[in-house]
Amino acid sequence: MIEFQDVSFVHQNGVIALDRVSVKIEAGETVAIVGENGAGKTTLVKHVTGLLKPSTGSVLVDGIDTRASSTAALSRKVGVAFQNPDHQLFSESVEEEMAFALRNFGFTAELVENRVSWGLRLFGLEEYRKSSPLVLSGGEKKRLTLACIMAWDPDVVILDEPTVGQDAIQKEKLTGTIRMLGSTGKTVIVVSHDIEFLWPIQPRVVVMKEGRILGDGPASRLMQERELLSSARVAQPQLVAFYQALDPRPKDPFVDPLEARRWVAGRAEIT
Amino acid sequence: MMWLSGGFIFRRGTSVYHRLDPRVKLLISSLMFVTTLLVRSLYELAMVIAFMVAVAAVATVLRRVARTMALTFIFSTVIFVLNLIVTKNLETSALYAVRFVAIVVSTSLFFITTSPDELEQVMKTFRLPRDVVFAFVTAVRFIPVMMLDTLQIMDAQKSRGLELEKGNIIRRVRNMIPVLIPLVVNSVVRSGELAEAMESRAYGAVRRPTSLVEYKASWADKVVAFAAVAIFVLTAYSFYFVLPTTVL
Repeated sequence: MIEFQDVSFVHQNGVIALDRVSVKIEAGETVAIVGENGAGKTTLVKHVTGLLKPSTGSVLVDGIDTRASSTAALSRKVGVAFQNPDHQLFSESVEEEMAFALRNFGFTAELVENRVSWGLRLFGLEEYRKSSPLVLSGGEKKRLTLACIMAWDPDVVILDEPTVGQDAIQKEKLTGTIRMLGSTGKTVIVVSHDIEFLWPIQPRVVVMKEGRILGDGPASRLMQERELLSSARVAQPQLVAFYQALDPRPKDPFVDPLEARRWVAGRAEIT
Repeated sequence: MMWLSGGFIFRRGTSVYHRLDPRVKLLISSLMFVTTLLVRSLYELAMVIAFMVAVAAVATVLRRVARTMALTFIFSTVIFVLNLIVTKNLETSALYAVRFVAIVVSTSLFFITTSPDELEQVMKTFRLPRDVVFAFVTAVRFIPVMMLDTLQIMDAQKSRGLELEKGNIIRRVRNMIPVLIPLVVNSVVRSGELAEAMESRAYGAVRRPTSLVEYKASWADKVVAFAAVAIFVLTAYSFYFVLPTTVL
């Protein structure tokens, strides 16, 4: 479990990035953090890995205060895929890149080999095993960063803006990956502007603005709160906006995103 | 690291010093630089540093100048120790070490109060080749970007279990490889992208492009420049003909 207890974070230049944030994320939850640029989303998740330490308050990861632990130690529990994969790729080959963290954590050579092979298969990167990670496409690099994390099997996976620079197919694959992570009991935290990407996943959504939490709840409810989203400068999913524009009758069930097409077709017939 | 780098990175300010013509700021920094080379005793050097601190106070960048001094501490310590071994003279060694700090501060005062745009104009005034000016100004402009990149790369690698602060010096240097390689690769990629973006916006299409801003020194700039030269001449004169000094 991850727990933020009244956490504030002030940058060296005096800017308040987090302002008395309190939030609990249970093990196995999939949580999306949304908000405009500078809302404090990335600052929030950097506290989970211990890359940033709170100015006041405390952050607990499985009961461990992040201030009492190094990032390297916390990263055994928490894996982060940063926005720009070029910020981490450096090895001569894809397999070496994947093995980097495993060796840092002291895995045996046999286990490293097994985990690397498993990760490459899982993310469809086997053919690039001996290639330089620097020659991969943007989508492949992103998948490689995810594979690198999955290889050491952390309990918490954080994805910071995973859809940046990804085409539609890659986004769909990412959706599948996040669902898969959720189904295997991982805690998944996704930081994203991309509401259309988040909507099918139906995560718990935390809306942030100016370092504060404006809203927290299931996507199906929170995404209907137009005023809240508007004040946080977050767009509504098109399906929800469309549904609200249709002026639904009280009897209409709110649509499950997977049933959307059938619902819209039924509604059109009624009209 | 970002704290230390603040000693050389320009930030907008509204002080009188910030508003001076960049050529005057360059003149003041150059004169302070030359004066540090003229000093022959710690006493004189203390006077020069006191003057620099006063300039920094006028420019409201005292804290940032303190960072510059902190940044030079390691190098000046090395200079002190090496000189002490060679000359076996405590005062000479201290003079060289502190002089190094003063030289860096005089340069830093110019860079932290002069924007890259102003720097470009200054270099153009000296009719330096356009490509040289562009390369230099771009390098200065990208220092904060590189610093940010470095921090982000360090964060990414620390999140993969890399301990940058652990181990002996050799291990620490080796641990920097996962940081340096992405930094260099990103910089090379960025420079290629920048070159393409510049060419697509007609960089090099004309030999002497016009400038958006043409600097013209005001009477206040001229007064400050004259005062700076006068102070320099008086200081240099007093160092050699008035103050009792130990010639090193």
